[in-house]
Amino acid sequence: MSKMNRRQLMLTTAGAFALATLASGGLAPAQADEKLVTIGIELPLTGADADSATRIKNGALMAIEEINGKGGINGYKLAVTVLDSGTSTAGQYDPAQAATNAKKFVADESVVALVGPEMSGEGKAMTPILSAANLATVTPSSTNPDITDPKFAAQYKPNGKAIYFRTVTTDAFQGPNMANYMRDTLKVKSVYIVDDSGAYGVGISNAFEGQAKKIGMNVMGHDQLDPKEADYTTIITKIKGLNPDAVYYGGVAQAGVKVAKQLYEIFPSVIKAGGDGMVDGGLLSAVGFPAIEGWYCTQASPHVMDDAAMSDWVARYTKAYKMTPSDYAITAYDAVQVIADAIKRTSASGQEVNRDTVRDAIQTTKIDTLQGPVAFDENGDIMNKVISVFQIHHDAANPEDDVQHQYKYIGVAPESPTS
Amino acid sequence: MTYTDVLLQQVINGVSLGAMYSLLALGFTMVYGIIELINFAHFNVFMVGAFFSMWILKLTGLAGQNVILTGFPLVGILLLALVCVMLFCGVLGVVIERAVLRPLRNVPGTAAMITTIGVSYILFNIILLSQGAAAMNFPNPMPKVQWNVTAGTVLKLREVLLWTISLLLMLGLHFFVRRTRLGKAMQATAQDQEAARMMGIEVDTVVMTTFFLGSALAGAAGLIFGLYYNFASYVIGYTAGLRAFTAAVLGGIGSIPGAMLGGVIIGLIESLGGQLLATRWTDVIIFSILVIVLVLRPTGLFGRMMIRKS
Repeated sequence: MSKMNRRQLMLTTAGAFALATLASGGLAPAQADEKLVTIGIELPLTGADADSATRIKNGALMAIEEINGKGGINGYKLAVTVLDSGTSTAGQYDPAQAATNAKKFVADESVVALVGPEMSGEGKAMTPILSAANLATVTPSSTNPDITDPKFAAQYKPNGKAIYFRTVTTDAFQGPNMANYMRDTLKVKSVYIVDDSGAYGVGISNAFEGQAKKIGMNVMGHDQLDPKEADYTTIITKIKGLNPDAVYYGGVAQAGVKVAKQLYEIFPSVIKAGGDGMVDGGLLSAVGFPAIEGWYCTQASPHVMDDAAMSDWVARYTKAYKMTPSDYAITAYDAVQVIADAIKRTSASGQEVNRDTVRDAIQTTKIDTLQGPVAFDENGDIMNKVISVFQIHHDAANPEDDVQHQYKYIGVAPESPTS
Repeated sequence: MTYTDVLLQQVINGVSLGAMYSLLALGFTMVYGIIELINFAHFNVFMVGAFFSMWILKLTGLAGQNVILTGFPLVGILLLALVCVMLFCGVLGVVIERAVLRPLRNVPGTAAMITTIGVSYILFNIILLSQGAAAMNFPNPMPKVQWNVTAGTVLKLREVLLWTISLLLMLGLHFFVRRTRLGKAMQATAQDQEAARMMGIEVDTVVMTTFFLGSALAGAAGLIFGLYYNFASYVIGYTAGLRAFTAAVLGGIGSIPGAMLGGVIIGLIESLGGQLLATRWTDVIIFSILVIVLVLRPTGLFGRMMIRKS
């Protein structure tokens, strides 16, 4: 081709493109059939917490699928991005990975709100990042009270607005209410406390200790365990020597498995209690019966799963995900309802649905969900504060790791002691 | 439980802990003694051994701690598991040696040692990805027998098992190295590889046997760990390994009696320190004592096993 011809060709092509752009520029841009917003899910799906995290994830996914199945919210369809905060080095939730996930969600413009995290250690790492981006998250299970405490606002919400909303209550109630229950109902006079050195474990056991001392229980000691260590016989023998009525364990499954096994071997007669970290199918099968039999645990939400009204929901969940739901699967489902309701109100008022408007809408939530009425105070904590107490009793008719059936609901832990 | 009972119980706990660390340290210290290699993969071969023996015991139909056997079936199944896991881990050790370490044998510096760290991580992650991170219940057919040493102190059957196996393996290893021909070849290789080769000793075979034995011992430790703690998890190599490594160094790396003594010392520090102070100080105390011992006696308490630099 000669130079002239090539240049002619290029000019012609360019001209053709220009014409085409001009022509199409005159038309209105093609409307998307649906508007899409993304809800992020941030959970430790690998590691020692995988079992509980997966049940939570499925609760959230079920809500999202139902909403999309009904046509979305005012024309908005929900997309989901799931990020995992479990790493092999930690063997459980990894706060550093949670922070990385938070940054990823912040960078994704379509994400308007998050469900998660499961663990307070994740929450502490994520909130400064989320606050800077004004991206709200609704957690179905993180209970450490510091994250929403105004005292620590500079650390966890530097931008000033609440972004950490909870469909569970906090350890400020979970620990102390259990102390009340143990003294009043179980007649425990002396207790030894151990925790697993994690953010949640230390927080809940400190809260428990404070209340136990206040109501006159003899706290014989408070020790920290290393979750990676296999052998707790030293501390358990020491506890046995002091002979308390009860042992309270604040922490999650990684250390909890070993605490349960070794307590059963060395000091089986003691009353054993823990927080919601002990509610985990993997823990049940790792410890096995009869070793885990008799443990008391709490959940920071009302126990509605056994209600007649819930049986259809439970059946649908079990069928869809081939596992029984946990109480926090319900709070996760409710967390999605909160976000969906926020999106609904925002879009109905004509505003653009983005993370700022969704956050503001979540703050003013007032809806009825599976667990009951949900509204948040100015810090993001749920108004309805209920702590449920369970005891593990072997249900031979169901598999060992069946969270729904092996934990027997006993009642509500009292917010104040009887005397 | 009186206070003396508590102390006595902690002594029993400490010696049992120590026996576990010694068992783990045994193969590790032997490998160093023969070929002067710090084999970091040893502790994750131990972890793999725990999972493998769990698998073997499950194959025989056991599950959890509620199926109890006694007498011959018990001894038979445990021996079967022991032999299988030692063979499997021994072969694993040989594979590691041939594939990864033999090419590096004459490379000076720390290349081989760093490579064992890499192998350690590979094993760690293989188990993590295939088994998941949650701890798993270990099938244990041993009856829950225990004896009262005093009114408040108990000695459990599994502790006796642990001590017996550790002692037997230590004595067996000691006998093998001192009395058999291959053992003497190992000692000769440890003194001077070149001279040994000149005397007609197959150094390759010696090194391979060393790795086989060391890893087989790690596997045995894995089975005993599972029977003792009733669980297996992919992180058990990490903390147990750190303490066992310290035990080996404290006792004098390369020395088999040193590994036993170092293990018992560390176990006792752990249990008595935890009782008298607090468990969170255990690491501080252990490593302080290690530092003091090494400053005063750099080769550890029992020195090394016939290593002389030429």
